[in-house]
Amino acid sequence: MKTKTLDENLHLESIEQPGSGSKLLALLSFFALIFAAIPFFYLIKGAFSGELDLIKTVLLREKSLEIFATTIALMSCVSVVSTLLGVSLAWCLHNVNLRSNSLLAALVILPIAIPSYVYTYSWMSIIPNLQGFAAAVFILILTTTPYITLAALAALRRSDRAQLEVAQTLGLNKWRSFYFITWPQIRNTVSAGTLLVALYVLSDFGAVSLLGVDTFTRAIENLYRGSFDRGAAAILALVLVAISAILITIESNTRQRSKVISTSSKLMPSIAESNSGRSRFLASLLIGLYLIFALITPLLQLLLRFISALPSIDYGNLFRTALSTIFASLLGSIIALLLALPVGLLSSQASRIGSLTDKSLLIVHALPGIVMGLSLVAIGSELPIVYQTVALLAFSYALLFMAKAVGFVRTSFLRVPKNLMEISSTLNQSKAQSIRRVMIPLATPGLLTATLLVFLSAMKELPATLMLRPTGFETLATEMWSATAILQFNEAAPYALLLVLIAAIPAFLINRPDKSEESGVNIS
Amino acid sequence: MTSLEINDLSVDLNSRRVLKNLNLQIPSGSFAAILGPSGCGKTTLLRSIAGLITPSGGAIRFGKQLVSVSSLVLPPHKRNIGYVPQEGGLFPHLSVAENVSFSLARKISDQEKNQIVNEMLELVGMKGFNDRSPQELSGGQQTRIALARALAMKPAMVLLDEPFAALDQALRVDISEEVVALLKKSGTTSIMVTHDREDALVSADVIALMHGGTVVQSGTPAQVYLNPISAEVALSTGDIDVIPAIKLANSQYSTALNEVNFNLANQPAANLGQILIRPEEIAISDEVTAGAVTAKITKINYYGHDALFELKVGQSLQSIRARITGPSQYRVGDTVSISHNGPIRWISSEAQELNL
Repeated sequence: MKTKTLDENLHLESIEQPGSGSKLLALLSFFALIFAAIPFFYLIKGAFSGELDLIKTVLLREKSLEIFATTIALMSCVSVVSTLLGVSLAWCLHNVNLRSNSLLAALVILPIAIPSYVYTYSWMSIIPNLQGFAAAVFILILTTTPYITLAALAALRRSDRAQLEVAQTLGLNKWRSFYFITWPQIRNTVSAGTLLVALYVLSDFGAVSLLGVDTFTRAIENLYRGSFDRGAAAILALVLVAISAILITIESNTRQRSKVISTSSKLMPSIAESNSGRSRFLASLLIGLYLIFALITPLLQLLLRFISALPSIDYGNLFRTALSTIFASLLGSIIALLLALPVGLLSSQASRIGSLTDKSLLIVHALPGIVMGLSLVAIGSELPIVYQTVALLAFSYALLFMAKAVGFVRTSFLRVPKNLMEISSTLNQSKAQSIRRVMIPLATPGLLTATLLVFLSAMKELPATLMLRPTGFETLATEMWSATAILQFNEAAPYALLLVLIAAIPAFLINRPDKSEESGVNIS
Repeated sequence: MTSLEINDLSVDLNSRRVLKNLNLQIPSGSFAAILGPSGCGKTTLLRSIAGLITPSGGAIRFGKQLVSVSSLVLPPHKRNIGYVPQEGGLFPHLSVAENVSFSLARKISDQEKNQIVNEMLELVGMKGFNDRSPQELSGGQQTRIALARALAMKPAMVLLDEPFAALDQALRVDISEEVVALLKKSGTTSIMVTHDREDALVSADVIALMHGGTVVQSGTPAQVYLNPISAEVALSTGDIDVIPAIKLANSQYSTALNEVNFNLANQPAANLGQILIRPEEIAISDEVTAGAVTAKITKINYYGHDALFELKVGQSLQSIRARITGPSQYRVGDTVSISHNGPIRWISSEAQELNL
């Protein structure tokens, strides 16, 4: 910080201009970015370590093009249907008075706790010959729809009802009101949710592997397992990263163009408004069908299998595995939060460095678990001290899900009214003191949500866990996977059920409506 | 307690010049009001004084201390100023006592902190509210706690940014009287930003009138009210009638009305301008004598304690307003005689161009 002394012997300092941020935060963010760049470095190194002809051979072989087409088709089908279904569910939950809207919303979001491989396992238990592309589309729609519903519901809760009412008084019917008024208000959030779904499908490993669909992740796994030369796997992984980067760029550009500005100083919150019998019937039917396919059937199947497996359950192993899962996921979520804090803080201050780091992290977020596993295995081969340690596994979780944490951290900091920081600075508090005494306490609920989100994602993570776990260290996901792989569905049930039950806790907590907006005090 | 001196202050926000070569002096221990319409730069001026934004030019001094010169500024936490924003701005995660003691140094013992908190709460009439959370307080109580928080640090200056704007009318009058009395009693130099002219006239020792990003006139409430330098300045402190006029000689004016004459003399025009008249300086009477200026009542705005009459003078198109206190027997359509009982405020066209 520049300091000059004037004739009155008073030190005047150049205060930080908006966008400059502090040097310490920038430095910490830079470290976070360096950590995030490690997988890319090893991927590029792996891809270009062999002969250049290998790249050409891998990329242009017929099988690769087939994999590319299958991956894109799967991603497109799932993204479109999930978006339509997710927005419809959110609209029903928000606009139709179903008497127990809050409970239904919690239930509709709950499948977020069920990983795709658990869905596949459940449905394969019911339909043993469930295989192929259509099955993968079905399973992945069930898995990813809650991401859209969650996003759309949050956006609908924030939307301005006054605008909708004015539009209706100006003669627009409900459909046109939705298209012209509501949709522009929720479009950005929904498109972010769709991006999340697309990235989820690109990186999914469990469902496509069990259902025998050749996508990039399955091909990478096969190349990784079946060959000592891992260059080909790295080349395919880079293609996957490139597709993800393109998707993120498209979504980011669309978002900037469709920025909607509210002209109201205070938003009038929306409330459930439709009470007609027809609306209720249709909404109940849609929500009921979704819950039957996405929640009740799989849970019932898990429960039945669990009961069948009761006599043979190794409770000691089940308990140990649960503890291992919680320990590794918790460690990963804490590392992710520590890395995300400076980035989120910096990007919330409209800092260019923060914004750049934030966007770069999104690319890391797009890295499938299998790719992260691949690159960290490469690191492990050069750093034996970390190879096959829980620390490396937790670090992979942190890197994989740090972008999610950054998003929540940034939003939490942005929601702290700027004037409270200014008031704090006029009350003899330096910027660091104001961050410690005002910003962090007020952002704590959001920071906890960020930690829970990473914890939830880490618990469900399979491919990176399979590759990076220390020998003898099993998580609920890997135990379930091992049993399913040899078609021992009953043995897999206790691990799958416990995984879903533990994951349901953070999933439920994440979905709580934000109470801060309802508090009586005016803090802005 | 300190004085404030601002010289040639300029502030640019988003490539737009918000404050333009602004000059202002506030004496030590006085209560000053910065008055002006929305968007004139009042809050920007207050935030510049607080150190929350960096000026692009000019200097700010607290007493002899230079706290801002050009783009070099002393950070807000080193200025020892108390800041009371709109609606209080209490920290929602802290109790009332924790809010009030927020600025107190860590080296102060808990016992001393409690003592200061209790003194401050007693000062603002909120004794016993220590453990309440801000959510449990009404708007007026939040403002009082915000003031206690600002005063707890024994500031050299207190800055208030429209602190009563969010309160309803009845509460606003009570709270503003209490707060102003407290600040005057404490002897702390205080600067309040407001767009409410009554708030400013009633509370302040010094009023600075802002227009277009600069202070156009400052002085005691009586000075700025009675001797405005332009029609706009006059309007910002109260109702005003602006009558086009021609200055003939010293104390000799011919108004454009032809009928309301001030020492009318049949001489060539010296220069053009306006005469500013406060409505309470116009008296009306139902005794229409020969030679008196007559006017027809076109509208009556009744306020209870007084009424504002709109009158059309003679056969001209010029209208004029008169404030009549107490009950009156007049009705719309009545013809009355009018007379002017006040100072003549002459604003020449040249001066007006310069001032505005």
